[in-house]
Amino acid sequence: MSFLQILLQLAGGVGYTIMVTVACSLTGVVVGLGVAMLSRIGPPWLRGLLGAFTFIFRAVPVLVLLFIVFFGLPNAGLRVPPLVAMMLSLGVIAGAYLAEVFRGAFDSVDASEVLAAEAMGLSRFQILRLIEIPQMLRFAVPGMINEFTTVLKYSPFAYTVGIPDVMKEAMSLSATTLRGVEIYLAVGIIYFLIYKLLVTGVWALEKRTRIPGLTG
Amino acid sequence: MTLLSVQDLKLEYDGRIILDGVSFDLAQGELKVIMGPSGSGKSTLLRCLNRLATPTGGRVVFEGRDVLGPGVDERALRQRIGFVFQNFALYRHLTALQNVTLALRHLRRMPAAEADERALRQLARMDMQAHAHKYPAQLSGGQKQRVAIARALAMDPAVLFFDEPTSALDPLMSREVVNILHQLRDERVSMLCVTHDLYLARAAGGRVMFLDEGRIHAEGEVDELFGPNADPRVRAFFHQELRQAQTAQPIDAAQPMDQAQPAGPSGPAGLAER
Amino acid sequence: MASFLALMLEYWPQVLSGLGNTLLLAAVISVTGLAGGVVVFYLAISGGPLRRRLTEGYISFFIGTPLIVLLFLMYYGLPQWGLKLTPFTVAVIGFTLNVAAYNARYLMTAFRGLDPDELQAARAQGFSDLQVFQLVILPQVMRLSVPALTNQVILNLKDSSIAFLIQYAEFFAQMQDLAIRSFRFLDAYLVAGAVYLALVSVVVVAARWLERRYVLPGVRRAR
Ligand SMILES: Nc1ncnc2c1ncn2[C@@H]1O[C@H](COP(=O)(O)OP(=O)(O)O)[C@@H](O)[C@H]1O
Ligand SMILES: [Mg+2]
Repeated sequence: MSFLQILLQLAGGVGYTIMVTVACSLTGVVVGLGVAMLSRIGPPWLRGLLGAFTFIFRAVPVLVLLFIVFFGLPNAGLRVPPLVAMMLSLGVIAGAYLAEVFRGAFDSVDASEVLAAEAMGLSRFQILRLIEIPQMLRFAVPGMINEFTTVLKYSPFAYTVGIPDVMKEAMSLSATTLRGVEIYLAVGIIYFLIYKLLVTGVWALEKRTRIPGLTG
Repeated sequence: MTLLSVQDLKLEYDGRIILDGVSFDLAQGELKVIMGPSGSGKSTLLRCLNRLATPTGGRVVFEGRDVLGPGVDERALRQRIGFVFQNFALYRHLTALQNVTLALRHLRRMPAAEADERALRQLARMDMQAHAHKYPAQLSGGQKQRVAIARALAMDPAVLFFDEPTSALDPLMSREVVNILHQLRDERVSMLCVTHDLYLARAAGGRVMFLDEGRIHAEGEVDELFGPNADPRVRAFFHQELRQAQTAQPIDAAQPMDQAQPAGPSGPAGLAER
Repeated sequence: MASFLALMLEYWPQVLSGLGNTLLLAAVISVTGLAGGVVVFYLAISGGPLRRRLTEGYISFFIGTPLIVLLFLMYYGLPQWGLKLTPFTVAVIGFTLNVAAYNARYLMTAFRGLDPDELQAARAQGFSDLQVFQLVILPQVMRLSVPALTNQVILNLKDSSIAFLIQYAEFFAQMQDLAIRSFRFLDAYLVAGAVYLALVSVVVVAARWLERRYVLPGVRRAR
């Protein structure tokens, strides 16, 4: 079995790896946006609560939360499908980190522009939607890329809950061929390529929506 | 006819008195200038009038209605007042045109084509139609100012507020701002302009009030206030501003500098700091 | 939950040794990862363009590939070539390579924010490149990076749980064992999560203290 054949064999799991990464990243963006928005416009007590949420979910290891959700919740009568378990663990943790990224990016929005929008008669929610979020998302691009990369790197945990991703393919291949070194080297190369693709893709998207004078 | 009437306006913040009983009227079509040193409460005064700040006492009547009362629709009030900020405060993610159409689209719910047409007319009024599709970062200070004014005019406000319209501009641009003020005055736009720029206060040509430590100390036509019988506080302010202007900028002594908002590296304040 | 806590009490030596192993691994890789990061950072900024490209490639590769792959390569792959390493050795080597890449990147970021004139001045005084690195660059860059470096320690503590997947008997592995013994999975993992939360909180408090103490006054971190 040549190295190329190993690569081709592993490629079967790439779709699942990408699916897990995208699903968890999207979960993270939704959770992060929700938390950052609510702590920007919500009452102080809610801000405190959301602060506790981000602290806790940034302190618990992904693997531990994944096991709580996938292997633990059935004890409480709640069965969660593997992909959803990944989203509720890796995705929500990414959301806690992204909430911090978004909070920092919100702080980069010029206060005088928010004041001008208020003076214009826009409502608080309109200001958020029309002024703050479009600018904030552009400032947040580098932080989002970091976080999406992290999600990709933790996505192999999916094998522990039975998702047939690249890692799972590698483990079964390694068990039958006893060529672990080459196989895991190939796995590393595949992840690195996906990583490069991801980073290039996000920057390309950023470039298409770039505005002079507004970068993260 | 009186458009705006301010009576005994007071504002205390943290036990500090910022506004100490300000009263004045602005008539329909009038241009009034409030002049005063940095920290005298000019910006705060303007913000009280459209409820961006909450005064602790006094009365404000705008278009016959009490502005400070409990039942006032703040957002409707703000849509009647065009506000031009000191540093322009253009939305950086929107083009000049989009800056002008934003309120038309989202407050007036105007269809895109109609809003564009109307915004382009306002930009043309400010001689900016050629730059309609540029972003703020691609415009000069003077151009940003024109867009900011077009943005304020687009909603057909009853009055325009200017907060230090020259402080972020070089002397040549300051002159253009005066020309714009004159143009709008000739079009019978009601305007209230606060500044500490002596040149602007003098050249604008309206009635001038002098605000210091939250109180109006003198009021009159340009000639009275700038004449030999001026109030001693006003004279002290002139001396101080002129001295600063001379050390900062020997070429155009009429242009004082703003310490609170230093100009960019090429501006007069930048030179003075070196 | 109460009965699970009773079980934990019964097996406390096992739990405690797991906790010890977790802290040991996190501490060791925090130190070796920092040392490795400084070395990689020095190699990246001191050599010619080729060396810079190589070190940047190293950083990029280890930031772009999952740590678990490297651990599996060494733990499950190398024995097939006749080289059998203990889980602890594998974990230390794998984490060090990975953490060093991250730390080097933080240091590089801080380095870009330094005033180039200051480095010129040091060279003009006659210091050698290594001396400039030791006396001028490193002290500033390290202080500027305190928040990022302490954050990495927190990541190390949490990520040490990955070593459970290569049979290292750390805390999470012990909790897993208790979970299977008692069939109380939810209780076991919740307790594990709470313990990590407590450990991280301690590091956060220590990090705040370190930041207050060592961040240079007047020197701002580059964005
Ligand atoms: N947000 C604020 N918080 C506390 N004090 C303020 C605030 N804004 C303004 N002030 C104070 O109110 C006074 C008037 O400020 P301002 O209205 O901005 O003056 P001006 O516009 O004439 O320079 C100043 O002494 C200033 O320090
Ligand atoms: Mg002001």
